[in-house]
Amino acid sequence: MRPSSIRYYFKEGFTGLLKNRLMAVASIATVAACIFIISLSCCIIGNLSSVLKQIEDTIGIAVFLDDNLDSEKINTISDELKAIPHVTMVTYISPEEALDSLKEEWQADDILDGFDGENNPLSHSFEVSLEGIEYQSDVLKGIEGISGIRNVRHAQSETQILLKLNKVLSIVGIAIVAILSIISVVIIMNTIKISVYTRRTEINIMKFVGATDWFIRWPFIIEGVLIGLLGASIPMAVSWPLYTKIVELIYQYFPVIKGIATLLDGYVIFSKLIPVSLIFGVLLGVFGSVSSIHKHLRV
Amino acid sequence: MIKVENVTKVYPNGAEGVKDVSIHIEKGEFVFFIGSSGSGKSTLIKLLMKELNPTDGQIVINNINTTRMKRSKIPFLRRNLGIVFQDFRLLATKTVYENVAFAMQVIESPSSQIRRNIPTVLSLVGLQDKAKAYPNQLSGGEQQRTALARAIVNNPPILIADEPTGNLDPDTAWDIMCLLEEINKRGTTVVVATHAKNIVDAMQKRVVTLKDGHIIRDVRKGGYSDEA
Repeated sequence: MRPSSIRYYFKEGFTGLLKNRLMAVASIATVAACIFIISLSCCIIGNLSSVLKQIEDTIGIAVFLDDNLDSEKINTISDELKAIPHVTMVTYISPEEALDSLKEEWQADDILDGFDGENNPLSHSFEVSLEGIEYQSDVLKGIEGISGIRNVRHAQSETQILLKLNKVLSIVGIAIVAILSIISVVIIMNTIKISVYTRRTEINIMKFVGATDWFIRWPFIIEGVLIGLLGASIPMAVSWPLYTKIVELIYQYFPVIKGIATLLDGYVIFSKLIPVSLIFGVLLGVFGSVSSIHKHLRV
Repeated sequence: MIKVENVTKVYPNGAEGVKDVSIHIEKGEFVFFIGSSGSGKSTLIKLLMKELNPTDGQIVINNINTTRMKRSKIPFLRRNLGIVFQDFRLLATKTVYENVAFAMQVIESPSSQIRRNIPTVLSLVGLQDKAKAYPNQLSGGEQQRTALARAIVNNPPILIADEPTGNLDPDTAWDIMCLLEEINKRGTTVVVATHAKNIVDAMQKRVVTLKDGHIIRDVRKGGYSDEA
């Protein structure tokens, strides 16, 4: 490939876009609209699964110990709990702390008035946090083997619901993004096909003056890359600030949400979404162009 | 230079373009293909430029057998052929200069050579003043001159013209034919398919007459109306 040819490819790629402005704009707009919708779905799905995860993280296992254990035994139990696989954190809660939080929760001092100091009916306990709720039953089995434990409490039905939601969300999320992607590919390929169709005479002439297939393809590939890049940059430039604004509005109008979970920061989503969209856009542009001119090359 | 041997072309719909046609054209010859519409002369031209493949027989151009040629080699065959069409086939978005330069860019000529050759070839076809004009700013004759310049700028050994004067008025047609003769005198083999009776009569070149897919007449210095 001569340097003069490379210059030619780029010049033709850029001027091709400018001289076929109408079709170029149509292609870019199609790519942009599709990627915008896909990125919007990613934002929604990403946040739903993040919120779900945060709720899951609050679900731990409460372990209540037998009465009259000395502090050495309590420490041993703590170490044994920590040694169980998939346990991330073990927090010791003394009877005094438990009583305080109970009082706070009930807001009715008079009922619990008689209980304090020596006269505390609550027992020593541990809050066990897990890597994920899917490990709950494994960890429970591990706890069974430890002596000195009076009672174990966990939120079984909530866990089941969350596990199901998690599964449904990931399936639905993948399905939505996959379907949108396929639809986008079809629409974008058609748009580019029309744009190449209007230039079939040009391709035909190139063939008759002895142009090789690759000589004809390169400018179209460069055009495809440009269409893809522009088509992906526009929705990214729009949807990041838009997302930030929407999160702000949600916090403003539904402050309740703050208590349950925090929404994802724009950076977390878009640091992944931007490179993926750009690559997706470029691949679409190139694949669309190359496959559309293929038919016209057979002269 | 061009050898067509027992070539038959049957289209997919069953129509026969040419039947068992053989013809030899020597280097430096000027040949007219004549015949009414449907006589097979367009088919023959398309076979020569390998737009179509023969159903049977073989075609040798410039010592290259084009019959069993890999698709990827076709561009290099076409670089031996300057091709001119009835409808000019210029790139509407490029100027006269760019249209001609295009043919050189395609074969990856160095830019210095492109800059050197194009003014020469444009003055040969009499378009030196129109280099910056776009095709839609040109008359039909000027457009065909541009197409001719594009066809010969790479000095192909063979020039094939399919009805080159079909869209032109008689005076302009005559100019284009004179230009073709000029190009032929510089050593290029020229093949012209045409309907232009008066011109064929006046030029007294080799005339090959086709009818219903057969060659019915082939005379050294002939006219259109000699017999048919």
